[in-house]
Amino acid sequence: MDTTQLLKGVLDLAVLAVLREEDGYGYDILRRLRDAGLEEVGDASVYGTLRRLFAAGLLTTYVVPSESGPHRKYYALNAAGRDQLARSGKTWRSFATTMDALLDDRGMAA
Amino acid sequence: MTVTGQDIADYVDRVRAALADLPPAVRDELTEDLPEHLTEVAAEADGSLVDRLGEPEAYAAELRAAAGAGDPAAGGRGLDRRIAAARHRVRARLSGLDARLGPLLGYASASEFLRLLRPAWWVLRGYLAAALLSAILGGDLTLLPRPFRSEVTGLLVLIAAVLTSIWLGRNADRLRRWPRRLMHAGALVLVVFGLVLLVNLDERSQRDEFGYQGVSVGDRYDSVQDVYVYDSEGRLVENARLFDQNGVPIRLGYPWCVDPAQPDAALRTGYPFCPELAPFRSRPPATAPVPPGTNGGRAPAGTPAPSGGSVPTAAATPTAVPSATVTPAPTGTVPEPSPTR
Repeated sequence: MDTTQLLKGVLDLAVLAVLREEDGYGYDILRRLRDAGLEEVGDASVYGTLRRLFAAGLLTTYVVPSESGPHRKYYALNAAGRDQLARSGKTWRSFATTMDALLDDRGMAA
Repeated sequence: MTVTGQDIADYVDRVRAALADLPPAVRDELTEDLPEHLTEVAAEADGSLVDRLGEPEAYAAELRAAAGAGDPAAGGRGLDRRIAAARHRVRARLSGLDARLGPLLGYASASEFLRLLRPAWWVLRGYLAAALLSAILGGDLTLLPRPFRSEVTGLLVLIAAVLTSIWLGRNADRLRRWPRRLMHAGALVLVVFGLVLLVNLDERSQRDEFGYQGVSVGDRYDSVQDVYVYDSEGRLVENARLFDQNGVPIRLGYPWCVDPAQPDAALRTGYPFCPELAPFRSRPPATAPVPPGTNGGRAPAGTPAPSGGSVPTAAATPTAVPSATVTPAPTGTVPEPSPTR
């Protein structure tokens, strides 16, 4: 099954999740997602998702001047973002449990 | 292969171009720190940006979808997009036409040829401006501009206008947006005025042709119906005849007053045909006898009563006539005037 199709549905949640522990800038967030195992995540998709979450009021941004490279725009979860993360996380867990049970019942689990 | 700053800038430009239909604020917000981001991507590993991220257009589409920005073909922006696309098509077609027409003129493109004609247009523009100015200043629509109907002023205005137009043409690049628009609008006005001027002058030249015919020699005596000859004494000469230098009789008018009941009167060869309609009355006979021997051959006294048309002709003999201002050449070809009544 194509992971990119699945990613479309959960990318918001994934991005919120990697920002839970530590603020990050665009490229940093992308790297964290890939390090976590979402290798197929698209550069522009992450970038666009960050923009959309920010526009939706779930993220705050601040610019950190960099000595070595360009200035970086950091994204951080705000209260609404944390709230959204909690709700979406619950939804995902319930959904994943349902899917697991579905797959187990039919004896198709690995 | 290392990615240069120019590569990144080009990539960003293409992404922005692909998002051109979005409101500028949204687009700027979406691509705000794209250059910085791409710089980090480029530093990550070797290979071009396209190798790593795909074509900028695909990147833009992904960005657009992930950010939840408007679909390219949605709503009013779709209309903007279509207009932009139509404009692009027209421009492409024009440039194609430009390149195709060029060889016909012997140039790489038609626009290259037209560029050569620019100074000629500047001169023409100056002339048209002078003509328009003179038309406004009360001059007529003439080939040479004549403000206040003065040729000298016209020439001065013409020279000044042409020089100004050439100067303007050479310095048009430095004009700002609005002066440039003003110049283009002015050019449009001048072209329209030029067409009006052309049509006007053309019509006038055709009218002049007919005018020449109106005063041509053949028609000049159209209005002459009769000829009255007076001698040096102011007496009406009856039965006078006119000849040109070749002895050819000059025929003018026609015996319109002759009574149709007497058709032979129409054959009368001398002037006037209608002596009773003479514009001037002959002098009274009292003064007539004073210069008796001037020419020797004046008409016998008592004849010049103009009102009695039949009297003079009856008495007239060939020798009695020579006091007429035009004397008949006494050649054999001239028929002897015969008394008609």
